[in-house]
Amino acid sequence: MDILHDNPQLQGVRQFAQAFARQYIRPIARKHDEEESTPWDLMRMAQGMLPQASLLDERPDRGEAPDAAKKPRVAARMSVVGGEELAWGCAGISLALAGSGLAANPVARLGTAEQKAEFKRCLTGLDEHGHVRVAAMALSEPSTGSDISSLSTSARRDGRHWILDGHKQWITNGQSASVYVVWAQTDPAAGRVGVRGFVVPRGTPGLVPGRKETKLGIRASETAQVHFEDCRVPDEMMLGVGGLAGGLGDTKKMLDSTRPAVGAQAVGIARAAFEHVLERVRAGSVRGTPLASHQHIAFELAEMETEIQASRLLVHRAAWMADHHMDNVSFASMAKAHAARTAQWVTMRAMAILGEEALEPGHPVEKWYRDAKIYDIFEGTGQIQRRIIAKGLVGQNPT
Amino acid sequence: MDFALDEVQELVVRTVRRFVERDVRAWAADADRAAAPPDALTRAGRELGFFTDAVPAGHGGLLEGDYSHLIRALRGYELGRGCAALAALLETNVEPALAIQRWGSDAVRDQVLPTLAAGAGAATARDSRGALTVETDGDDLRISGRIGPAPALGVARWLLLAIDDAALVVLDCDGAGVTREALRPSGWRAARWGALVCDRARIPGTAVLADRVAAPSAIPEVLTWYRISLASRAAGVAAAAMEHAERYGRDRVQFGQPIGSFESILRLRDDAETGAAAARLMALHAGWLADRAGDEASWAAAADAASRARVLAGDVVARATVDAVQIFGGYGFVNDYPVEKLMRDARAFEALLGDERFDRILAAKGERP
Repeated sequence: MDILHDNPQLQGVRQFAQAFARQYIRPIARKHDEEESTPWDLMRMAQGMLPQASLLDERPDRGEAPDAAKKPRVAARMSVVGGEELAWGCAGISLALAGSGLAANPVARLGTAEQKAEFKRCLTGLDEHGHVRVAAMALSEPSTGSDISSLSTSARRDGRHWILDGHKQWITNGQSASVYVVWAQTDPAAGRVGVRGFVVPRGTPGLVPGRKETKLGIRASETAQVHFEDCRVPDEMMLGVGGLAGGLGDTKKMLDSTRPAVGAQAVGIARAAFEHVLERVRAGSVRGTPLASHQHIAFELAEMETEIQASRLLVHRAAWMADHHMDNVSFASMAKAHAARTAQWVTMRAMAILGEEALEPGHPVEKWYRDAKIYDIFEGTGQIQRRIIAKGLVGQNPT
Repeated sequence: MDFALDEVQELVVRTVRRFVERDVRAWAADADRAAAPPDALTRAGRELGFFTDAVPAGHGGLLEGDYSHLIRALRGYELGRGCAALAALLETNVEPALAIQRWGSDAVRDQVLPTLAAGAGAATARDSRGALTVETDGDDLRISGRIGPAPALGVARWLLLAIDDAALVVLDCDGAGVTREALRPSGWRAARWGALVCDRARIPGTAVLADRVAAPSAIPEVLTWYRISLASRAAGVAAAAMEHAERYGRDRVQFGQPIGSFESILRLRDDAETGAAAARLMALHAGWLADRAGDEASWAAAADAASRARVLAGDVVARATVDAVQIFGGYGFVNDYPVEKLMRDARAFEALLGDERFDRILAAKGERP
């Protein structure tokens, strides 16, 4: 099975993303990592490629066209093929480019026409800094990392409004977003069913963007806290109204559907490190003996390539299943967990082979080593993925 | 066989541990952010004798009799528990001071050792891949090429330079033909890293500690000292990572229970703690062997033990710090908590002096001294 074989559309996506990553992302990756800055210029240039618009345009409202929904799609496969290439360029920049998609996804899945229009309106034009407008998905909280069913941000009804109170953490675009999709508990007695999403534009009184985090890796992608203090949101901005599902179960399902894409990014990081060290090995020698002729080095390269290929196949399979409307929960978790482990291991071994060279400031492999770690943490930690896989194996509901 | 520490060893461990827990840990995060050590480190290092304990008393230092690599490994572990970068700065004078004492001419001893006793710094670097060009110029050597990156080399006055097969020399970092680059890499950020670009930099004959004939036996001895120290410090960093993870796992509740009580987390910690303990013992054993080494065979045994200790400690610290970040989850990835620094710091333990596993393989095939 090769999703690229005989598929000119996906081959085209790969070719385009590869060229884009090589020409535009790689040259600025070190700068944005060192400065911990968002690549606004690139984002402005690539505005047409950003995911929020296409996500909102392509999805029909829930309940419409059930027959169309059963036809195979290509979106998941496109996201893994393109995602690997962009992360090969720089994972942080690829996340900056894709960050708004995290928020656009639930709006596309659960939103009414009015909510979609409001979300799009918030993302139209440039912000007060001349930056392309971005969106933020505000789900995680200081005390709620992996356990998203225990959200403490509350949504209290007040006439035709909801009042949001709480703190969000590790929010992509949390400081700069022009619109937020905020997840809050509307009915503590209802547990996870009571958790709902709200579309909240920047500037809404009580929405306070918080401190930007200094991070180990993916530094070109902004991560910040967001605070809600008596933040009034009109009733019609609650996702999942009018008979549409919109509880936490849908949120989790959405996270599952993004895992193959996240795994693909990890594959991109691993491949970047592998290619770098492969080039060094091809060119290097010790006392006149080519490095590649040493089994110690050659077998290590062979293992790296094997793990990268295996990770990519898992990622592609999980995406292919998603596009064919198959239950991919376990495969999505396997793909994400394996790719994350591969990225960490490959970058670590690549640094060991390079030796002191990899200690130079700004060395790309050292950056990729730092970038790789988040892939075992966000979108469900490696432990959460294994929990999902194991539950499936023993016949329990994996979600 | 006796694993108990004697009185002196106990005193060293207790003193360094107190210093680490009271001061070094308090300085570590700010030093990392500033990419510079606090001034207090130099004062404390002098008071505790870190910079001069390998300098003979006759040249103004504290060393009387033989230097103990076992004691250095004991303190290295404690320092590693505090901060890898500050530990590197505190340990940086040892190899140059011992090497000059062991192989140096009177001229180089009289020139360098008193400066170390008076507060000058020294660093150690190795050229294992033939990056440097070495020319003979009468009794002197001329060196060209780039040396580093190495910790403390951004500020060191002297460099102990091991050029595999060619020479073990002392280089004046402020000498003619030497240009210094101060570097700020991602790991051990406060360790005053640097590199030297040499353009036919002159090494006077008196500063050549070992020439092409003697270097193959002198360099492995220096590397043995360094590896023991690196291994012990790496074990300390791994232990610290798990100390942080244990505390965090106790406080952090997810799914209704402290995450430290989940079996997957317990296993991560258990494996890492076992690894750190094993690496520490291997480093101590290598130090013990080095303290007793005299002839070629006993040095070979110490060198082998030091190299194995470093391989294990490099693996252990890599795994333990990555797993500590994993246990902290999102908090582990941000700079407010200590473990992301540990993960950055871990890499230098494996990368300094080159790929240790590869070195061992080359040595086994007779392709590396």
